[in-house]
Amino acid sequence: MEKTQNRYEAATVEELRNAKRLIVTVKGMEIGLFAVGEQFYAWRNICPHAAAPVCQGPVCGTRLPSLVYEYKYGKDQEIVRCPWHGWEFDLITGQHLVDEKVKLRGYKVEVEDGKVYVVI
Amino acid sequence: MTKPKIIDTDVHNAIARTEDLLPFLPRVWHEYWKSAGAGYGGGWHSPIGVLRSDAIPPGGGLPGSDPKHMLEHHFHKYGIDYGILTGSGILGISLNPNPDYGNVIASAYNDWLVETWLKASSVYKGSILINHADPQAAAKEIDRMAVNKNMVQVIMCSGSRMLFGQRFYHPIYEAAERNGLPVAVHPGTEGRGIAGAPTPSGYPTSYLEWHNILPTNYMAHVNSLVCEGVFEKFPLLKFVAIEGGIAWLPHLMWRMDKNYKGLRDLVPWLKRLPSEYIKDHIRLTTQPIEEPANNEQLNQILDMVDAGRTVMFSSDYPHWDFDNPKMALQPIRKELRQRILVDNAIELYGLNEAPSAAVTDAKAAAIKGE
Repeated sequence: MEKTQNRYEAATVEELRNAKRLIVTVKGMEIGLFAVGEQFYAWRNICPHAAAPVCQGPVCGTRLPSLVYEYKYGKDQEIVRCPWHGWEFDLITGQHLVDEKVKLRGYKVEVEDGKVYVVI
Repeated sequence: MTKPKIIDTDVHNAIARTEDLLPFLPRVWHEYWKSAGAGYGGGWHSPIGVLRSDAIPPGGGLPGSDPKHMLEHHFHKYGIDYGILTGSGILGISLNPNPDYGNVIASAYNDWLVETWLKASSVYKGSILINHADPQAAAKEIDRMAVNKNMVQVIMCSGSRMLFGQRFYHPIYEAAERNGLPVAVHPGTEGRGIAGAPTPSGYPTSYLEWHNILPTNYMAHVNSLVCEGVFEKFPLLKFVAIEGGIAWLPHLMWRMDKNYKGLRDLVPWLKRLPSEYIKDHIRLTTQPIEEPANNEQLNQILDMVDAGRTVMFSSDYPHWDFDNPKMALQPIRKELRQRILVDNAIELYGLNEAPSAAVTDAKAAAIKGE
């Protein structure tokens, strides 16, 4: 049986564009809304590692995989870094940068009439 | 073809008399060698000495200084097919304050090793001694000696002024990889010569205390090698951590992995978990094997480090803390014991075939002048 999905109003487009990140509560769950470039993403505010409020960590770039003693900056503002243990997650895919099996729980985001909805 | 049954990866061959090195040493250094020796003093005194008193050759001299006697007293006695020679009283030449002296002594030792030991029996396999304080010279020495196929690895002391992963040392790894040889380290020089203190908090009081804590230096070097990306830069390199114990490694692997998951951006050249580099590139030797009261705990520790491919038997003959191959590995379950006793060393050193008894005896007789 397919689970019924509903969408919930979570923020306005203007709010999210200005703040870049909002922590909202939807259906009793904390969700991090992120504006990355033109796109919006919604990730559950629980780190899969140790249940930290992952979405409240710094949003940043990172050092990309490189050759020994080379440093390459990239993914600017596309990374959220968990405030407890520093795990880096890709805000676009939700994936942990070390272990691809580890991923943030994500939700579909819909935009309509200036409002941001999360589909749960 | 007969497969070897036991390979001993840490056997100490000693220089019988100081003068024995002179034919291989430039004339300008003769007096210095005769008066100063290897010259990396300091260290801790053991009341029982480092060398086994039962291993003194019949003609006298240092234990481990007579190739013929060692064959009988150690190899034939325990059915050991090959021994990887690791030197004696000279390994710390990297810690002499004068790197030019370190270089010539290392070269003289290597030439002496070939003439005195490797030509004495095919049972003996050599380690190319290098002076790690001068990596460019060490690389040249590796190239010079690697043409002798009875040299099966590079060796240097684990006492040092810097951590071994640092770029200063990379010419050594580049040369070793180029020649298809593992790089081994051996402990015992920690806190001696120009090495740093043997612990970050200074100097232990007794030989016992110093000997207990040697593995912390191994932890520091292995950690450095992995974090600095040595195994990304030199993907074929193997690094042998001789006589440094085993049970500390699971802790280090797990701690490194845990930190890497949060701090990978500090070492963006690593592409895998640190523990995976360790299992692929670090090899350990058994002696002095840990002896927990419960044998099963040893097996568990060995499993944690994937000992079926990472750990090799060693006796440390003729040192005081010798491990008897017939006794020391008994707590280990059978199929794993076989891997440790011989298979891992066969694979690392390419010693697929046991030396034939005829060849061994003929060469031994020739050296004796019969």
